[in-house]
Amino acid sequence: MSDKTKKKIFVIIGVIVTSIICLVPFVWMIVISFSKNPDFLGSVKVSYTFTWNNYRQIITSLDLHIIDYFKNSLIIAIVVTFFSVMIGSFAGYAISRIRFKGKTFITLGILAVSMFPQISIVGYIFELMTKLGWINTYKALIFPYIAWVMPISLWILISYFMQLPKSLDEAAMVDGANRMQTLLKVILPISAPGVFSTALLVFIASFNEFMFALMLTTDYHARTIPVGIALFQGLHGQIPWGQIMASSAIAAIPLVVMVLIFQRYIVQGLTAGALKG
Amino acid sequence: MSFKGRRVKNKPKNSEQGLAYLLLSPVLILVGGLILVPVLGTFITSFFRNVTFMPPAKFIGIRNYARIIKDPQFWQSLRFTVAFSAVAVALESILGMFYALVINEKFKFRGIMRAIVLIPWAIPTIVSARIWQLMYNYSYGLLNYVLVHFHLCTHPINWLGSPVSAFFSIVTADVWKTAPFMAILFLAGLQAIPQSLYEAARVDGASISQQFWRITLPLLKPIIVIALIFRTIDSLRIFDLIYVLTGGGPGGSTSSVSMYGFKSYILGDFGYGSTVSVITFLLIFVFTVIYLKVGNFSGGLKENER
Repeated sequence: MSDKTKKKIFVIIGVIVTSIICLVPFVWMIVISFSKNPDFLGSVKVSYTFTWNNYRQIITSLDLHIIDYFKNSLIIAIVVTFFSVMIGSFAGYAISRIRFKGKTFITLGILAVSMFPQISIVGYIFELMTKLGWINTYKALIFPYIAWVMPISLWILISYFMQLPKSLDEAAMVDGANRMQTLLKVILPISAPGVFSTALLVFIASFNEFMFALMLTTDYHARTIPVGIALFQGLHGQIPWGQIMASSAIAAIPLVVMVLIFQRYIVQGLTAGALKG
Repeated sequence: MSFKGRRVKNKPKNSEQGLAYLLLSPVLILVGGLILVPVLGTFITSFFRNVTFMPPAKFIGIRNYARIIKDPQFWQSLRFTVAFSAVAVALESILGMFYALVINEKFKFRGIMRAIVLIPWAIPTIVSARIWQLMYNYSYGLLNYVLVHFHLCTHPINWLGSPVSAFFSIVTADVWKTAPFMAILFLAGLQAIPQSLYEAARVDGASISQQFWRITLPLLKPIIVIALIFRTIDSLRIFDLIYVLTGGGPGGSTSSVSMYGFKSYILGDFGYGSTVSVITFLLIFVFTVIYLKVGNFSGGLKENER
């Protein structure tokens, strides 16, 4: 067998196996979300009945609050994304462009935070938010999230800013721009793709966060969709898989679509740090 | 504040330094106040008896640590966490490498395949946990249906019901979700390898597997090390998946250290929960330091740049 044939066989098998592994669970979620009887595989005569009802119920039944959870997640993730990219780019600009004392220490210190386990801060944050009376509010999640995603944000932004030649800044400053103007009018517009990658990854991270949201929210006023889905209780005892899968689809499909459309930026963001060190 | 006409930049200027600190201040305040202070606070709380319904908190020295050493459930969660991380990270690197090798080949639907590989990564962990939970269902889950229907098994398997099968069920769900991340990093590494190396190897008569072991793998080493560090740190913190799939059961056999600490918090025992959290923190910290030393992280990177 020639090398070419071997490679062809590898690709064919690879494509089939990869597609099955990656797609089956995702497709299964959608299949069950449209199923009238989610336990149909357990019955003697297996028959699937299509229905819109699961979606209709989670959207119209106000007791389930799925739409509230989704709205909470969306608002929190958008606010976190905006502020973390903003203050992250200030910090990233200072680190990549200005000499100051303690730079290495501060930079490594912030990046090291990304290895901290959430459990090592959630207890303290819970007591803090209880004292502030912020439990079950957006604020209780927004502030810790901004801090929590900062390493990702800074990591990608710094790696983008470092690629830009310093002569850009010098040219702008010779023309009379100050540092802030240089950042806002020259560096940020040029690094738009990097800023966008950062925003996407930060958005995904805060949309998916679970432990803080579980600990710091108590009901639909601030509870996010991952917590809502994890704690989904049926009204009648039996696990309402149809509704759970419909809620899961509502949470997951926007993210999947976003990731597929902006694939290039996501991949750039994920590999930005890893490739340059 | 005006910085007009500053062209000489060899010495740090005081005003520039001031601006740097000003630009950094929001990040420093947030990361300091909401991450570093809480970590320190957790460390301090671990020396107290701090139980919500038994106020006030009382300093008890290292008694929480003495308790944790003798706590079989804690050791059980520590063993689980380490075993889980080792198995899951190993399997997801292998699967990630497989994905990367497939989507690195040139074929018609490569673009679509790259998108498909990203799907599990794009799905929130809690959602993927729920999907797997349903697929593992004893009486109407997809897995048991396929196994029994195609006569691969005579009886359905109680996936989440016994310690061993629950362990591998959690590993499988985790590998499914995270192998794409590995694949993305490995693919970036594969694309950086010059094709000329493979052409030269072919001229010398090297087989495909020789090319993989002698060229691809050694050149990917720096990226593999980084990917392993990222993923191991992450899997030592595992929580979400277990919370949904087993809740730590059966009989505490799949409780991770994060899960164990969380349970103490939920019971209102902040002193002991903090102690578990401190140990979790140290576990990951020690691991990271060892990995960076053993993997010769920075050395490997420089080698690759040459």
